[in-house]
Amino acid sequence: MNNKYESNKWQEVINWVQKRSLFMLHYCTGCGAIELPPTMTSRYDMSRFGIGPAATPRQADILLITGYLSTKTLRRVIYTYEQMQDPKFVMGFGSCTINGGMYWDSYNTIKQLDKYIPVDLYIAGCMPRPEAILEGFLKLKEKIETGNADGYKKYNKEYETYKKNQEKVLGEVKRRQ
Amino acid sequence: MGKSKRTEMFFGPNHPGVPGNYGINYFYEGDTVVSAEPNPGHLHRGFEKLMEEREWIKNTPLVCRICVMEPDINEMVYAMSFEAIGEIKIPKRAAYIRSIILELARIQAHIFSIGGNCGAIGLYTAMQWGVLTRDYILDIFEEITGGRVYHIYIRPGGVRHDIEDVTLQKILDLLNDLENNRMPEFQKLIFENPIAQKRWKNTAVLNQEDALSLGVTGPALRATGLEHDVRKLMPYAAYDQVDFKVPTGEDGDAWTRLKLKKDEIFQSIKIIRQLVNNIPAGPVSLNLGNALKYKIPAGEAYVKIESSRGEYGYYVVSDGGLKPYRVHVRGTSTPLGLYGVETLLPGCRIEDVPVWAHSLGICPPEFDR
Amino acid sequence: MRSENELIELLNRDLNLLSVKKLRKQNISIRLENEELVSGLNYLKSHSYIHLATISCVDWIEDNQFELIYHLFSYEDKISLSVKTKINRQKSRFVTIKNLWGVAKYYERDIHDFFGIKFTGNDNMDELILENWNEIPPMRKDFKTRQYVDKKYDWRQYHGQE
Repeated sequence: MNNKYESNKWQEVINWVQKRSLFMLHYCTGCGAIELPPTMTSRYDMSRFGIGPAATPRQADILLITGYLSTKTLRRVIYTYEQMQDPKFVMGFGSCTINGGMYWDSYNTIKQLDKYIPVDLYIAGCMPRPEAILEGFLKLKEKIETGNADGYKKYNKEYETYKKNQEKVLGEVKRRQ
Repeated sequence: MGKSKRTEMFFGPNHPGVPGNYGINYFYEGDTVVSAEPNPGHLHRGFEKLMEEREWIKNTPLVCRICVMEPDINEMVYAMSFEAIGEIKIPKRAAYIRSIILELARIQAHIFSIGGNCGAIGLYTAMQWGVLTRDYILDIFEEITGGRVYHIYIRPGGVRHDIEDVTLQKILDLLNDLENNRMPEFQKLIFENPIAQKRWKNTAVLNQEDALSLGVTGPALRATGLEHDVRKLMPYAAYDQVDFKVPTGEDGDAWTRLKLKKDEIFQSIKIIRQLVNNIPAGPVSLNLGNALKYKIPAGEAYVKIESSRGEYGYYVVSDGGLKPYRVHVRGTSTPLGLYGVETLLPGCRIEDVPVWAHSLGICPPEFDR
Repeated sequence: MRSENELIELLNRDLNLLSVKKLRKQNISIRLENEELVSGLNYLKSHSYIHLATISCVDWIEDNQFELIYHLFSYEDKISLSVKTKINRQKSRFVTIKNLWGVAKYYERDIHDFFGIKFTGNDNMDELILENWNEIPPMRKDFKTRQYVDKKYDWRQYHGQE
């Protein structure tokens, strides 16, 4: 048997199953978090797509960065991201993760999320409507099925670049697993 | 039985029970909190410095992002302080429209807060109902102003544009539906529920002298027996032309505060009906010239209004130029979120810490700015 | 219940005011010397001005002074009273009022974080809202935000932009 063919088929099955059961970490980081309760409850129901909330990082697949990140929160987000198990996905929510957004000249918020942790998908808006969030989730599921959502592999490969960017902003970051 | 060990717990920023991104570090023994310390600053964006770098009109879309649950109060206080220093008088129809928007914002903030309080004790049905009912009010806001959450509708000189009669009729229909169909269901599920009553009575008690010495205002102060409301003490917009009562309570625990929020929803419905039925015709905004070159003489003002949680104030200093010289934001929950955690939380049980935080109305973006 | 003019007469009689101004309806501001501020606040607290809303600070860099403003309110008179005093910008030191209102501890710690003013008598001056801040206090007028941001963070490069 050709091993490569067999492992590809297994990976397809795993992707098919994973995209149908995603757990999102319930961490409201910025002002975009006010549009999460309408998405999670009965009007714009998101559990019909198989997405539900999880309480701890060890048990979650998706980390949703809802809005801007101050430097104090960035340190906690890096700890949280490193505690999640592979495979894991990150979604940037709102225009503050893309280029700094409304607080572009503030001394305390970061300007691009991409430099510190790898991002799979961005949702533009200030703030995005619940329908836009659901469309973002559907695109993420397509990416998982075709095997393109590989931000976590990039983090492991280019760890030194990410570490250098993080320490430029935060000083020293103590890693504890 | 020996004494239990003193253990540290981080009721930290990543927690479903905390109202926002905010941490409390406390020590507990057995089941009771012994000493606590706040850990704010995760939401700090440097608003006061950003406001000094932008012209007067450019701060209007920035200012509404300070308090996320109820953004209209920030726009209102900023516009009021600009008009107070410049001694500008706005048209009557604009004052009525501003009051309608503020009362609708108060109703949706109270409904969301009641839902959040029920989520803290485990009554998840009421949380879903609360978020859903609030969504219908956000539909009205979207029809008037164009945005669900951030409206950018109230600005110095009046409001941005007029409301049509069709929308005013929709507001009245929604209020009828709220009063006759939805609030009785909330009453049966939450307020006549013996388990919720047992959980909320005599929990998170705040007595009158503590409240006055801390500088607490709003439902938390009215639940101890005093009838202080900024809408009656220093009337603004169209509140001196309507007739309403200010409900009070006696015991000062979480149960009284939640009942007060429900009573205030009914009073707000009464206010909006009077405003819609008596609204005068006329212009909705003054023409103050080129918006990018707004100027007011040098001066200062401390202006405050009544938000759904209490007194909300701005201190604005102008030096006669194109940009503000200094803007200082006084959020409602600054005394409780910072000093109240040190003095009022010890003695509470660990499972009551989310109930304490939600029922006193702590909103972290207000004091982090 | 006093009107604004009755209150101004009372304050002129009992306190050593440097200036008093009626800004608008229900809003008055007075100015005191540094040494008289704590006794003035004590006097006002015993005459129904029990609500301390907040403590603000303004940086007047051309005059080389900081100005501290204490906002008080009385539920009986329904007047909002601002008590102001100016301190030297180089020395930047003042006394605490935590014995009158306990909550002032946190307002003073916040002002120390953003302006760098030390309050003697207040023993906890740790960082409250900022974390690991190594530059000059950010709300001072000689701190330029745009230069700081250009130095520390990188902007996103779009296609076709050099």
